[in-house]
Amino acid sequence: MHEQAFRFGAARHLVGVVGLPPVIEHGVGMILLNAGMVYRVGPFRLHVELARRLNSLGYSTLRFDQSTIGDSGASGQRLSRPEQVLADVRDAMELLKQQSGCTRFVLFGLCSGAQNAHSTAYVDQRVAGAFFLDGYGHRTLGQRVRHYLPRLLSLSVWRQRFARRRTPVAARPAEPAFEVEPLPPKIVRAQLAEMLHRGLKLDFIYSGGVARYFNHVRQFRECFGRLADHPCVSVSYFKEADHTYVLSGDRQRLLDHVAQWMGHHFPITRTGSSA
Amino acid sequence: MKARIEAELPFYFGPGKELFGFYHPAAAVTGTAVLLCPPFGVEQIRCHRLYRQLAHSLAESGLPVLRFDYFGTGDSAGDSHAFEWPRCLADVATAAAELRLRHGGGRLLAFGARLGANAALAAAQTARLDGVVAWDAITDGAALVRQYDSMEASLKVDLNRFEVARPDLDVSTQWPGFETSERLRSQLLELRLLDPGIASAWLTSSSPDEASRLGEPYASRQVGVDVAPRWDDVNGLELAILSHPLLEAARRHLKEMA
Repeated sequence: MHEQAFRFGAARHLVGVVGLPPVIEHGVGMILLNAGMVYRVGPFRLHVELARRLNSLGYSTLRFDQSTIGDSGASGQRLSRPEQVLADVRDAMELLKQQSGCTRFVLFGLCSGAQNAHSTAYVDQRVAGAFFLDGYGHRTLGQRVRHYLPRLLSLSVWRQRFARRRTPVAARPAEPAFEVEPLPPKIVRAQLAEMLHRGLKLDFIYSGGVARYFNHVRQFRECFGRLADHPCVSVSYFKEADHTYVLSGDRQRLLDHVAQWMGHHFPITRTGSSA
Repeated sequence: MKARIEAELPFYFGPGKELFGFYHPAAAVTGTAVLLCPPFGVEQIRCHRLYRQLAHSLAESGLPVLRFDYFGTGDSAGDSHAFEWPRCLADVATAAAELRLRHGGGRLLAFGARLGANAALAAAQTARLDGVVAWDAITDGAALVRQYDSMEASLKVDLNRFEVARPDLDVSTQWPGFETSERLRSQLLELRLLDPGIASAWLTSSSPDEASRLGEPYASRQVGVDVAPRWDDVNGLELAILSHPLLEAARRHLKEMA
Protein backbone atom coordinates (compact mmCIF):
# COMPACT_ATOMS: atom_id res chain seq x y z
CA MET A 1 0.00 0.00 0.00
CA HIS A 2 1.23 3.46 -0.86
CA GLU A 3 -0.54 6.73 -0.04
CA GLN A 4 0.21 10.17 -1.39
CA ALA A 5 -1.45 13.49 -0.61
CA PHE A 6 -2.40 15.91 -3.37
CA ARG A 7 -3.67 19.40 -3.94
CA PHE A 8 -5.50 19.22 -7.25
CA GLY A 9 -8.46 20.39 -9.30
CA ALA A 10 -9.09 23.04 -11.91
CA ALA A 11 -8.31 25.76 -9.37
CA ARG A 12 -5.97 23.60 -7.23
CA HIS A 13 -8.60 24.01 -4.56
CA LEU A 14 -9.14 20.32 -3.72
CA VAL A 15 -7.22 18.15 -1.27
CA GLY A 16 -7.16 14.37 -1.30
CA VAL A 17 -5.17 11.22 -0.63
CA VAL A 18 -4.53 8.66 -3.37
CA GLY A 19 -4.01 5.08 -2.21
CA LEU A 20 -2.34 2.63 -4.57
CA PRO A 21 -2.03 -1.15 -4.30
CA PRO A 22 1.42 -2.80 -4.27
CA VAL A 23 0.94 -3.63 -7.95
CA ILE A 24 -0.79 -0.82 -9.79
CA GLU A 25 -3.94 -2.01 -11.50
CA HIS A 26 -5.29 -0.38 -14.63
CA GLY A 27 -8.96 -1.04 -14.24
CA VAL A 28 -11.46 0.38 -11.84
CA GLY A 29 -10.65 2.73 -8.97
CA MET A 30 -12.81 3.88 -6.11
CA ILE A 31 -13.53 7.50 -5.21
CA LEU A 32 -14.84 8.19 -1.72
CA LEU A 33 -17.07 11.26 -1.39
CA ASN A 34 -17.59 13.33 1.75
CA ALA A 35 -20.26 12.04 4.12
CA GLY A 36 -22.09 15.25 4.95
CA MET A 37 -19.63 17.78 6.35
CA VAL A 38 -17.21 15.15 7.71
CA TYR A 39 -13.79 15.62 6.16
CA ARG A 40 -12.21 13.02 3.87
CA VAL A 41 -11.24 10.48 6.57
CA GLY A 42 -14.95 9.72 6.91
CA PRO A 43 -17.06 9.15 10.00
CA PHE A 44 -14.81 7.55 12.64
CA ARG A 45 -12.16 7.06 9.91
CA LEU A 46 -14.41 4.80 7.85
CA HIS A 47 -13.00 6.08 4.53
CA VAL A 48 -9.39 5.51 5.60
CA GLU A 49 -10.14 1.94 6.65
CA LEU A 50 -12.09 1.23 3.47
CA ALA A 51 -9.51 2.77 1.15
CA ARG A 52 -6.71 0.73 2.74
CA ARG A 53 -8.71 -2.49 2.61
CA LEU A 54 -9.34 -1.95 -1.12
CA ASN A 55 -5.69 -1.03 -1.73
CA SER A 56 -4.65 -4.31 -0.12
CA LEU A 57 -6.99 -6.13 -2.52
CA GLY A 58 -5.54 -4.44 -5.60
CA TYR A 59 -7.81 -1.43 -6.16
CA SER A 60 -6.69 2.20 -6.37
CA THR A 61 -8.57 4.74 -4.27
CA LEU A 62 -8.96 8.46 -3.76
CA ARG A 63 -10.55 9.99 -0.68
CA PHE A 64 -10.90 13.73 -1.03
CA ASP A 65 -12.68 16.82 0.21
CA GLN A 66 -15.16 18.47 -2.11
CA SER A 67 -15.11 22.27 -2.49
CA THR A 68 -15.39 24.13 0.82
CA ILE A 69 -15.48 20.91 2.89
CA GLY A 70 -12.59 19.70 5.04
CA ASP A 71 -9.27 21.01 3.69
CA SER A 72 -10.58 22.01 0.26
CA GLY A 73 -11.23 25.61 -0.66
CA ALA A 74 -13.69 27.26 -3.00
CA SER A 75 -13.11 26.86 -6.71
CA GLY A 76 -13.78 30.49 -7.49
CA GLN A 77 -16.02 29.39 -10.35
CA ARG A 78 -19.61 30.54 -10.57
CA LEU A 79 -21.25 27.15 -10.38
CA SER A 80 -24.34 25.91 -8.60
CA ARG A 81 -23.68 23.38 -5.83
CA PRO A 82 -24.70 20.37 -7.99
CA GLU A 83 -22.49 21.67 -10.84
CA GLN A 84 -19.61 22.17 -8.42
CA VAL A 85 -20.00 18.65 -7.01
CA LEU A 86 -19.86 17.23 -10.53
CA ALA A 87 -16.82 19.35 -11.42
CA ASP A 88 -15.05 18.25 -8.20
CA VAL A 89 -15.70 14.55 -8.77
CA ARG A 90 -14.52 14.90 -12.37
CA ASP A 91 -11.31 16.53 -11.11
CA ALA A 92 -10.97 13.61 -8.69
CA MET A 93 -11.42 11.06 -11.49
CA GLU A 94 -8.77 12.86 -13.52
CA LEU A 95 -6.29 12.75 -10.62
CA LEU A 96 -6.86 9.07 -9.93
CA LYS A 97 -6.49 8.33 -13.62
CA GLN A 98 -3.16 10.18 -13.73
CA GLN A 99 -1.86 8.38 -10.66
CA SER A 100 -3.15 4.86 -11.27
CA GLY A 101 -4.14 4.57 -14.90
CA CYS A 102 -7.76 3.80 -13.95
CA THR A 103 -10.26 4.86 -16.55
CA ARG A 104 -13.45 3.71 -14.83
CA PHE A 105 -14.58 4.47 -11.33
CA VAL A 106 -16.83 3.27 -8.55
CA LEU A 107 -18.22 6.00 -6.29
CA PHE A 108 -18.79 5.49 -2.57
CA GLY A 109 -21.12 7.91 -0.81
CA LEU A 110 -22.89 7.98 2.53
CA CYS A 111 -25.77 10.33 3.28
CA SER A 112 -25.29 13.49 1.15
CA GLY A 113 -22.36 11.58 -0.38
CA ALA A 114 -24.89 9.08 -1.74
CA GLN A 115 -26.86 11.90 -3.36
CA ASN A 116 -23.66 13.29 -4.88
CA ALA A 117 -22.64 9.82 -6.09
CA HIS A 118 -26.09 9.43 -7.67
CA SER A 119 -25.99 12.77 -9.51
CA THR A 120 -22.46 12.13 -10.81
CA ALA A 121 -23.13 8.51 -11.80
CA TYR A 122 -26.17 9.66 -13.77
CA VAL A 123 -24.23 12.00 -16.04
CA ASP A 124 -20.64 10.78 -16.24
CA GLN A 125 -19.87 7.84 -18.52
CA ARG A 126 -16.70 6.93 -16.63
CA VAL A 127 -18.66 5.84 -13.57
CA ALA A 128 -18.95 2.05 -13.65
CA GLY A 129 -20.62 1.50 -10.30
CA ALA A 130 -21.69 3.12 -7.07
CA PHE A 131 -22.36 2.44 -3.41
CA PHE A 132 -25.27 4.45 -2.07
CA LEU A 133 -25.30 4.33 1.75
CA ASP A 134 -28.48 5.67 3.32
CA GLY A 135 -29.22 7.33 0.03
CA TYR A 136 -32.48 7.69 -1.84
CA GLY A 137 -35.57 5.92 -0.58
CA HIS A 138 -38.88 7.10 0.73
CA ARG A 139 -41.48 6.11 3.30
CA THR A 140 -44.00 3.58 2.05
CA LEU A 141 -47.14 1.98 3.42
CA GLY A 142 -45.08 -1.10 4.29
CA GLN A 143 -42.51 1.02 6.13
CA ARG A 144 -45.26 2.63 8.23
CA VAL A 145 -46.85 -0.74 9.03
CA ARG A 146 -43.49 -2.21 10.04
CA HIS A 147 -42.74 0.85 12.14
CA TYR A 148 -46.07 1.40 13.91
CA LEU A 149 -47.67 -2.05 14.17
CA PRO A 150 -45.15 -3.55 16.61
CA ARG A 151 -45.41 -0.39 18.70
CA LEU A 152 -49.20 -0.57 18.81
CA LEU A 153 -49.03 -4.17 20.01
CA SER A 154 -46.20 -3.66 22.49
CA LEU A 155 -47.19 -3.41 26.15
CA SER A 156 -43.89 -1.81 27.09
CA VAL A 157 -44.34 0.96 24.52
CA TRP A 158 -47.77 1.80 25.97
CA ARG A 159 -46.29 1.75 29.48
CA GLN A 160 -43.54 4.13 28.40
CA ARG A 161 -46.08 6.41 26.77
CA PHE A 162 -48.16 6.66 29.93
CA ALA A 163 -45.04 7.15 32.03
CA ARG A 164 -43.91 9.92 29.72
CA ARG A 165 -47.24 11.67 30.15
CA ARG A 166 -46.64 11.75 33.88
CA THR A 167 -42.98 12.79 33.65
CA PRO A 168 -42.16 14.40 30.33
CA VAL A 169 -38.80 13.20 28.97
CA ALA A 170 -36.60 15.82 27.35
CA ALA A 171 -36.23 15.03 23.68
CA ARG A 172 -32.78 15.30 22.14
CA PRO A 173 -32.43 18.93 21.01
CA ALA A 174 -32.48 19.41 17.27
CA GLU A 175 -28.97 20.04 15.98
CA PRO A 176 -28.32 22.39 13.10
CA ALA A 177 -28.02 20.33 9.93
CA PHE A 178 -27.13 20.98 6.32
CA GLU A 179 -29.62 19.07 4.28
CA VAL A 180 -30.28 18.88 0.59
CA GLU A 181 -33.82 18.55 -0.66
CA PRO A 182 -34.02 15.06 -2.18
CA LEU A 183 -35.11 14.42 -5.74
CA PRO A 184 -38.73 13.28 -6.24
CA PRO A 185 -39.00 9.44 -6.24
CA LYS A 186 -40.21 9.33 -9.85
CA ILE A 187 -37.09 11.15 -11.06
CA VAL A 188 -34.80 8.99 -8.90
CA ARG A 189 -36.38 5.84 -10.36
CA ALA A 190 -35.97 7.10 -13.95
CA GLN A 191 -32.35 8.09 -13.37
CA LEU A 192 -31.51 4.74 -11.76
CA ALA A 193 -33.11 2.95 -14.72
CA GLU A 194 -30.95 5.00 -17.07
CA MET A 195 -27.78 4.13 -15.09
CA LEU A 196 -28.64 0.43 -15.21
CA HIS A 197 -29.31 0.69 -18.93
CA ARG A 198 -25.75 1.98 -19.30
CA GLY A 199 -24.48 -1.08 -17.43
CA LEU A 200 -23.65 0.45 -14.06
CA LYS A 201 -23.47 -1.83 -11.02
CA LEU A 202 -25.33 -0.31 -8.09
CA ASP A 203 -25.25 -1.28 -4.43
CA PHE A 204 -27.79 0.23 -2.04
CA ILE A 205 -26.98 -0.08 1.66
CA TYR A 206 -29.36 1.18 4.32
CA SER A 207 -28.63 1.28 8.05
CA GLY A 208 -30.90 1.03 11.07
CA GLY A 209 -30.04 4.71 11.60
CA VAL A 210 -32.49 5.73 8.89
CA ALA A 211 -35.39 3.51 10.00
CA ARG A 212 -37.51 6.66 10.04
CA TYR A 213 -37.70 6.35 6.24
CA PHE A 214 -36.30 2.87 5.41
CA ASN A 215 -36.69 -0.18 7.65
CA HIS A 216 -36.57 -3.39 5.61
CA VAL A 217 -34.68 -4.71 2.62
CA ARG A 218 -38.07 -5.38 0.93
CA GLN A 219 -38.76 -1.65 1.00
CA PHE A 220 -36.46 -1.09 -1.96
CA ARG A 221 -39.02 -2.87 -4.12
CA GLU A 222 -41.80 -0.82 -2.55
CA CYS A 223 -39.86 2.32 -3.53
CA PHE A 224 -38.42 1.40 -6.92
CA GLY A 225 -40.55 -1.49 -8.18
CA ARG A 226 -38.98 -3.79 -10.77
CA LEU A 227 -35.57 -2.15 -10.53
CA ALA A 228 -35.14 -4.40 -7.50
CA ASP A 229 -35.02 -7.42 -9.85
CA HIS A 230 -32.25 -6.02 -12.05
CA PRO A 231 -29.14 -8.25 -11.91
CA CYS A 232 -26.90 -5.20 -11.44
CA VAL A 233 -28.77 -4.01 -8.36
CA SER A 234 -28.05 -5.26 -4.87
CA VAL A 235 -29.72 -4.05 -1.71
CA SER A 236 -28.72 -4.58 1.92
CA TYR A 237 -30.24 -3.47 5.19
CA PHE A 238 -27.79 -3.32 8.12
CA LYS A 239 -30.44 -3.14 10.78
CA GLU A 240 -28.07 -3.17 13.77
CA ALA A 241 -25.81 -0.38 12.48
CA ASP A 242 -26.33 3.32 13.03
CA HIS A 243 -26.13 5.97 10.32
CA THR A 244 -22.41 6.76 10.82
CA TYR A 245 -21.16 3.25 11.72
CA VAL A 246 -19.84 4.32 15.10
CA LEU A 247 -19.02 0.75 16.19
CA SER A 248 -15.90 -0.78 14.70
CA GLY A 249 -17.60 -4.18 14.29
CA ASP A 250 -20.28 -2.56 12.11
CA ARG A 251 -17.59 -0.83 10.07
CA GLN A 252 -15.79 -4.14 9.58
CA ARG A 253 -19.01 -5.81 8.36
CA LEU A 254 -19.52 -2.92 5.95
CA LEU A 255 -15.93 -3.19 4.71
CA ASP A 256 -16.35 -6.95 4.22
CA HIS A 257 -19.50 -6.32 2.23
CA VAL A 258 -17.87 -3.68 0.01
CA ALA A 259 -14.81 -5.86 -0.60
CA GLN A 260 -16.99 -8.83 -1.53
CA TRP A 261 -19.17 -6.73 -3.86
CA MET A 262 -16.12 -5.25 -5.59
CA GLY A 263 -14.61 -8.72 -6.03
CA HIS A 264 -17.86 -9.95 -7.56
CA HIS A 265 -18.48 -7.08 -9.97
CA PHE A 266 -14.95 -5.85 -10.66
CA PRO A 267 -12.65 -8.82 -10.03
CA ILE A 268 -8.91 -8.30 -10.15
CA THR A 269 -7.53 -10.66 -12.76
CA ARG A 270 -4.24 -12.53 -12.57
CA THR A 271 -2.76 -10.31 -15.28
CA GLY A 272 -3.09 -7.36 -12.98
CA SER A 273 -6.19 -5.67 -14.34
CA SER A 274 -9.79 -5.71 -13.22
CA ALA A 275 -12.43 -6.94 -15.60
CA MET B 1 -5.70 34.78 -0.14
CA LYS B 2 -6.21 32.29 -3.01
CA ALA B 3 -2.47 32.18 -3.76
CA ARG B 4 -1.70 31.57 -0.09
CA ILE B 5 -4.19 28.70 0.14
CA GLU B 6 -2.70 27.19 -3.04
CA ALA B 7 0.72 27.26 -1.36
CA GLU B 8 -0.58 25.17 1.54
CA LEU B 9 0.67 21.65 1.02
CA PRO B 10 -0.56 18.26 2.20
CA PHE B 11 2.23 15.69 2.39
CA TYR B 12 3.57 12.65 4.21
CA PHE B 13 6.71 12.92 6.31
CA GLY B 14 8.82 11.26 8.99
CA PRO B 15 10.51 7.83 8.96
CA GLY B 16 8.78 5.67 6.37
CA LYS B 17 6.63 8.72 5.49
CA GLU B 18 3.98 7.46 7.92
CA LEU B 19 2.72 10.81 9.18
CA PHE B 20 0.29 13.06 7.34
CA GLY B 21 0.96 16.78 7.55
CA PHE B 22 -0.39 20.03 6.19
CA TYR B 23 2.01 22.95 5.97
CA HIS B 24 0.70 26.52 5.96
CA PRO B 25 3.58 28.81 4.93
CA ALA B 26 3.75 32.47 5.89
CA ALA B 27 6.05 35.36 5.17
CA ALA B 28 8.62 35.21 7.99
CA VAL B 29 7.72 38.08 10.29
CA THR B 30 8.94 36.94 13.68
CA GLY B 31 10.98 33.82 12.89
CA THR B 32 8.51 31.80 14.94
CA ALA B 33 6.38 28.88 13.72
CA VAL B 34 3.48 26.98 15.30
CA LEU B 35 2.85 23.25 15.55
CA LEU B 36 -0.80 22.25 15.98
CA CYS B 37 -1.13 19.02 17.97
CA PRO B 38 -4.55 17.42 17.47
CA PRO B 39 -6.64 15.73 20.13
CA PHE B 40 -7.36 12.00 19.96
CA GLY B 41 -10.16 9.86 18.53
CA VAL B 42 -13.49 11.41 17.78
CA GLU B 43 -12.26 14.71 19.23
CA GLN B 44 -9.69 14.91 16.42
CA ILE B 45 -12.41 14.71 13.77
CA ARG B 46 -14.64 17.17 15.63
CA CYS B 47 -11.76 19.69 15.84
CA HIS B 48 -10.52 19.32 12.25
CA ARG B 49 -12.23 22.44 10.92
CA LEU B 50 -11.23 24.50 13.94
CA TYR B 51 -7.58 23.52 13.49
CA ARG B 52 -7.73 24.46 9.82
CA GLN B 53 -9.22 27.85 10.66
CA LEU B 54 -6.59 28.45 13.33
CA ALA B 55 -3.83 27.51 10.87
CA HIS B 56 -5.18 30.00 8.30
CA SER B 57 -5.48 32.72 10.91
CA LEU B 58 -1.94 32.20 12.21
CA ALA B 59 -0.43 32.00 8.72
CA GLU B 60 -2.21 35.23 7.79
CA SER B 61 -0.64 36.93 10.78
CA GLY B 62 2.86 35.79 9.81
CA LEU B 63 3.28 32.51 11.68
CA PRO B 64 3.96 29.39 9.54
CA VAL B 65 1.98 26.40 10.77
CA LEU B 66 2.17 22.62 10.55
CA ARG B 67 -0.91 20.52 11.25
CA PHE B 68 -0.38 16.77 11.45
CA ASP B 69 -1.95 13.44 12.42
CA TYR B 70 -0.38 11.01 14.91
CA PHE B 71 0.31 7.44 13.80
CA GLY B 72 -3.01 5.54 13.81
CA THR B 73 -5.13 8.68 13.42
CA GLY B 74 -6.52 10.81 10.58
CA ASP B 75 -4.71 10.26 7.28
CA SER B 76 -1.53 8.94 8.90
CA ALA B 77 -0.51 5.32 8.55
CA GLY B 78 -1.58 2.75 11.13
CA ASP B 79 -4.83 1.25 12.35
CA SER B 80 -6.79 3.20 14.94
CA HIS B 81 -6.05 0.65 17.66
CA ALA B 82 -2.32 1.20 17.05
CA PHE B 83 -2.48 4.68 18.60
CA GLU B 84 -0.26 4.74 21.71
CA TRP B 85 0.98 7.49 23.98
CA PRO B 86 4.79 6.98 23.63
CA ARG B 87 4.46 6.94 19.83
CA CYS B 88 2.25 10.01 20.02
CA LEU B 89 5.01 11.92 21.87
CA ALA B 90 7.60 10.71 19.37
CA ASP B 91 5.35 11.97 16.55
CA VAL B 92 5.23 15.44 18.15
CA ALA B 93 9.03 15.54 18.07
CA THR B 94 9.10 14.29 14.46
CA ALA B 95 6.55 16.92 13.43
CA ALA B 96 8.48 19.66 15.23
CA ALA B 97 11.65 18.68 13.34
CA GLU B 98 9.72 18.72 10.06
CA LEU B 99 8.34 22.18 10.79
CA ARG B 100 11.84 23.50 11.60
CA LEU B 101 13.09 22.07 8.35
CA ARG B 102 10.34 23.75 6.34
CA HIS B 103 10.35 27.19 7.89
CA GLY B 104 14.09 27.39 8.40
CA GLY B 105 14.63 27.18 12.15
CA GLY B 106 13.78 29.72 14.82
CA ARG B 107 11.37 29.55 17.71
CA LEU B 108 8.67 26.91 17.84
CA LEU B 109 5.36 27.16 19.66
CA ALA B 110 2.60 24.58 19.93
CA PHE B 111 -1.14 24.59 20.38
CA GLY B 112 -3.06 21.53 21.51
CA ALA B 113 -6.58 20.62 22.53
CA ARG B 114 -7.23 17.90 25.11
CA LEU B 115 -4.65 15.09 24.71
CA GLY B 116 -3.04 17.21 22.01
CA ALA B 117 -2.17 19.73 24.72
CA ASN B 118 -0.77 16.98 26.95
CA ALA B 119 1.28 15.63 24.06
CA ALA B 120 2.79 19.05 23.34
CA LEU B 121 3.56 19.64 27.02
CA ALA B 122 5.04 16.18 27.56
CA ALA B 123 7.15 16.34 24.40
CA ALA B 124 8.16 19.99 24.86
CA GLN B 125 11.75 19.15 25.76
CA THR B 126 12.46 16.58 23.06
CA ALA B 127 10.62 18.67 20.46
CA ARG B 128 12.46 21.80 21.67
CA LEU B 129 9.28 23.83 21.99
CA ASP B 130 9.49 27.40 23.27
CA GLY B 131 5.89 27.73 24.41
CA VAL B 132 2.57 25.88 24.53
CA VAL B 133 -1.02 27.07 24.42
CA ALA B 134 -3.21 24.35 25.91
CA TRP B 135 -6.99 24.10 25.57
CA ASP B 136 -8.85 21.85 28.00
CA ALA B 137 -5.70 19.83 28.66
CA ILE B 138 -6.33 16.53 30.44
CA THR B 139 -5.52 16.95 34.12
CA ASP B 140 -6.66 13.51 35.23
CA GLY B 141 -6.03 10.56 32.92
CA ALA B 142 -8.12 8.20 35.06
CA ALA B 143 -11.08 10.58 34.76
CA LEU B 144 -10.65 10.60 30.98
CA VAL B 145 -10.66 6.79 30.86
CA ARG B 146 -13.82 6.77 33.02
CA GLN B 147 -15.38 9.32 30.72
CA TYR B 148 -14.69 7.34 27.55
CA ASP B 149 -15.98 4.13 29.24
CA SER B 150 -19.11 5.92 30.39
CA MET B 151 -19.74 7.38 26.92
CA GLU B 152 -19.35 3.95 25.36
CA ALA B 153 -21.79 2.49 27.91
CA SER B 154 -24.33 5.21 27.04
CA LEU B 155 -23.72 4.75 23.35
CA LYS B 156 -24.65 1.07 23.24
CA VAL B 157 -28.12 1.74 24.67
CA ASP B 158 -28.75 4.97 22.75
CA LEU B 159 -32.04 4.29 20.98
CA ASN B 160 -31.78 7.59 19.14
CA ARG B 161 -28.83 5.98 17.36
CA PHE B 162 -29.59 2.23 17.27
CA GLU B 163 -32.83 0.41 16.58
CA VAL B 164 -32.06 -1.96 19.45
CA ALA B 165 -29.52 -1.74 22.28
CA ARG B 166 -26.20 -3.38 21.46
CA PRO B 167 -24.66 -6.17 23.55
CA ASP B 168 -21.51 -5.58 25.62
CA LEU B 169 -19.51 -7.71 23.22
CA ASP B 170 -20.04 -5.16 20.43
CA VAL B 171 -18.51 -2.31 22.41
CA SER B 172 -16.10 -3.95 24.86
CA THR B 173 -12.85 -2.91 23.17
CA GLN B 174 -13.93 0.52 22.06
CA TRP B 175 -14.14 4.13 23.04
CA PRO B 176 -16.60 6.30 21.13
CA GLY B 177 -16.00 5.67 17.46
CA PHE B 178 -12.67 3.85 17.72
CA GLU B 179 -11.03 0.60 18.72
CA THR B 180 -8.74 0.95 21.68
CA SER B 181 -6.16 -1.25 23.38
CA GLU B 182 -5.32 -2.26 26.93
CA ARG B 183 -1.93 -0.63 26.47
CA LEU B 184 -3.46 2.76 25.67
CA ARG B 185 -5.88 2.43 28.57
CA SER B 186 -2.98 1.79 30.97
CA GLN B 187 -0.97 4.65 29.51
CA LEU B 188 -3.85 7.11 29.88
CA LEU B 189 -4.65 5.95 33.42
CA GLU B 190 -1.17 7.12 34.40
CA LEU B 191 -1.48 10.44 32.59
CA ARG B 192 -0.91 13.61 34.63
CA LEU B 193 -0.44 17.18 33.55
CA LEU B 194 3.23 18.12 33.22
CA ASP B 195 4.44 21.66 33.66
CA PRO B 196 6.94 22.02 30.83
CA GLY B 197 8.79 24.86 32.52
CA ILE B 198 8.39 27.02 29.43
CA ALA B 199 5.93 29.75 28.45
CA SER B 200 2.42 28.37 28.63
CA ALA B 201 -1.19 29.52 28.49
CA TRP B 202 -4.15 27.51 29.76
CA LEU B 203 -7.43 27.99 27.94
CA THR B 204 -10.48 26.38 29.52
CA SER B 205 -13.98 25.98 28.15
CA SER B 206 -16.87 27.57 29.99
CA SER B 207 -17.97 24.24 31.48
CA PRO B 208 -14.92 21.91 31.56
CA ASP B 209 -15.49 18.18 32.06
CA GLU B 210 -14.06 16.24 35.01
CA ALA B 211 -11.01 15.12 33.01
CA SER B 212 -9.87 18.66 32.19
CA ARG B 213 -10.66 20.56 35.39
CA LEU B 214 -7.58 22.61 36.25
CA GLY B 215 -6.31 22.48 39.82
CA GLU B 216 -3.41 24.35 41.38
CA PRO B 217 -0.90 25.57 40.30
CA TYR B 218 -2.65 26.05 36.94
CA ALA B 219 -6.07 27.21 38.11
CA SER B 220 -4.89 30.71 38.87
CA ARG B 221 -3.38 30.98 35.37
CA GLN B 222 -6.37 29.67 33.42
CA VAL B 223 -8.10 31.79 30.80
CA GLY B 224 -11.80 31.10 30.42
CA VAL B 225 -13.14 30.94 26.85
CA ASP B 226 -16.81 31.11 25.92
CA VAL B 227 -17.00 27.73 24.17
CA ALA B 228 -18.95 24.58 25.08
CA PRO B 229 -17.41 21.63 23.17
CA ARG B 230 -19.40 18.99 25.10
CA TRP B 231 -16.44 16.60 25.20
CA ASP B 232 -18.38 14.12 27.35
CA ASP B 233 -21.69 14.25 25.47
CA VAL B 234 -22.41 11.11 23.48
CA ASN B 235 -24.95 13.05 21.41
CA GLY B 236 -22.18 15.30 20.12
CA LEU B 237 -19.94 12.70 18.46
CA GLU B 238 -20.72 13.91 14.95
CA LEU B 239 -20.77 17.63 15.77
CA ALA B 240 -17.89 19.75 14.54
CA ILE B 241 -16.54 22.22 17.08
CA LEU B 242 -16.41 25.74 15.71
CA SER B 243 -15.67 28.69 17.97
CA HIS B 244 -14.61 32.20 17.11
CA PRO B 245 -13.76 33.06 20.77
CA LEU B 246 -11.49 30.01 20.97
CA LEU B 247 -9.73 30.90 17.73
CA GLU B 248 -9.23 34.46 18.91
CA ALA B 249 -7.89 33.40 22.32
CA ALA B 250 -5.49 30.83 20.85
CA ARG B 251 -4.22 33.25 18.22
CA ARG B 252 -3.75 36.07 20.73
CA HIS B 253 -1.72 33.94 23.15
CA LEU B 254 0.42 32.44 20.41
CA LYS B 255 1.12 35.90 18.99
CA GLU B 256 2.09 37.15 22.44
CA MET B 257 4.50 34.23 22.89
CA ALA B 258 5.97 34.75 19.42
